[in-house]
Amino acid sequence: MKDLISKKGIYIAVAAVAVAIAAALSVALSGGHAGFAAMLSEPFFKPVKSAMTSLAGSLEHIYGYMYRYDELEEENASLRSRIAELEQEYREYTEISEENARLRSLLGFVERHEELKLEPVSVISWTASNFSSSFTISKGSSSGIELYDPIITEDGYLVGQVTSVTASSCTVTTVVDTTSRVGALIYETGETGVASGDFELFQDGTLRLSYIAELEDVLIGDTVVTSGSGGVFPSGLVIGKITGMSVGASGLDPYAIVEPSADIDDCAHLYVITDFAVSE
Amino acid sequence: MRERSRVLIKLLILAPYLAVLYILQSTLLTHLPIFGTTPMIMPLAVCGVALFLGRVDGGVTGLFAGMLMDLACNQATIHFTLVLTLTGLLVGILSDTVLVQGFPSYLLTAAAALAVCSASQVFALAVLRGAPIALLSGIAVRQTLSSLIFTFPFYYISRFLCRVM
Repeated sequence: MKDLISKKGIYIAVAAVAVAIAAALSVALSGGHAGFAAMLSEPFFKPVKSAMTSLAGSLEHIYGYMYRYDELEEENASLRSRIAELEQEYREYTEISEENARLRSLLGFVERHEELKLEPVSVISWTASNFSSSFTISKGSSSGIELYDPIITEDGYLVGQVTSVTASSCTVTTVVDTTSRVGALIYETGETGVASGDFELFQDGTLRLSYIAELEDVLIGDTVVTSGSGGVFPSGLVIGKITGMSVGASGLDPYAIVEPSADIDDCAHLYVITDFAVSE
Repeated sequence: MRERSRVLIKLLILAPYLAVLYILQSTLLTHLPIFGTTPMIMPLAVCGVALFLGRVDGGVTGLFAGMLMDLACNQATIHFTLVLTLTGLLVGILSDTVLVQGFPSYLLTAAAALAVCSASQVFALAVLRGAPIALLSGIAVRQTLSSLIFTFPFYYISRFLCRVM
């Protein structure tokens, strides 16, 4: 039995060597192309090899993931922290950029109006009433703000005036409120009038310019500025532009409709004119 | 002693409640107009307290809610102080006598209170400043309707708070 096994073993070994030599010869003679054995074995082994390669790849990936988990977690935390830093920097940059634009605009306005003394303020809250237009600002008499001081935007557009003062806050009534009255003139023609809030125009956010002597000279698009008469407002502050003409209910009082240049509903940072040179 | 502690509990609950409503009324709601108007939530709170707690608590809540409403409207007058105090008292009396403490009663009293508040604003402007009533009525109606949207949550908030008290 032992001899038989050893003989069989020898036969098998010889057969294996013969197959190997045949395979080698077929490869050598085929000039680089796949040999006969490979052609025979390929259809059987290819799917298995593909599957194994894929499995090995997955295992390698898992292994690599496990091996580098701590490292990746650390890198992830570091990147998250960096993103948060960059987001914060971006927010700060945006705020600074907006503030810069406001201050540049103000600087231009202040250079043109050196006679004005300005106090920067922020809007705290708006009135809850649907029948008036007013808001509360962040500074009061302790910052030198007084009753009837005018409020402007950084561009110098008139927003309204202070109508109530406490030590730390003020109530501002806007130019579209029905109690507002401002001495005005049309910049292009020099015609004077009174810009006032109106119940009819209030909901549209516009105001009326009344008591104009030569209404036929007024054109749509003309600029309305403060006249400075009365000494409450400095002269030359832009109130708005004329957008139309109308006549009152009596039919005897024609007036121009003025759209404020200041974005009254959306103002957040404003300036109170605490002092100015009165022009007579 | 027990009555005193009950008053203290009411004070501890109603004061922060009104403070929160005042902040909401003067900040958030002014930025979120409905039908082009800012809703009024103070009358809803007054009606809720008056309906569930009666005339005394309703009147007192109306007094403070009215003062806060006048503050929120940036007006020095005592318009809402008067109107909401009377509203609280009246709804409280109705609750003590004829009204059932349920949502239909609350909706009815809240709608009436809001309509009275809006009408009183229009009336005051018409009398004192000669404002055209027809023009302001549209705003008043929209204001009332926009405020009525909040009746449902306010009913449950009021009911919950009054049960705690």
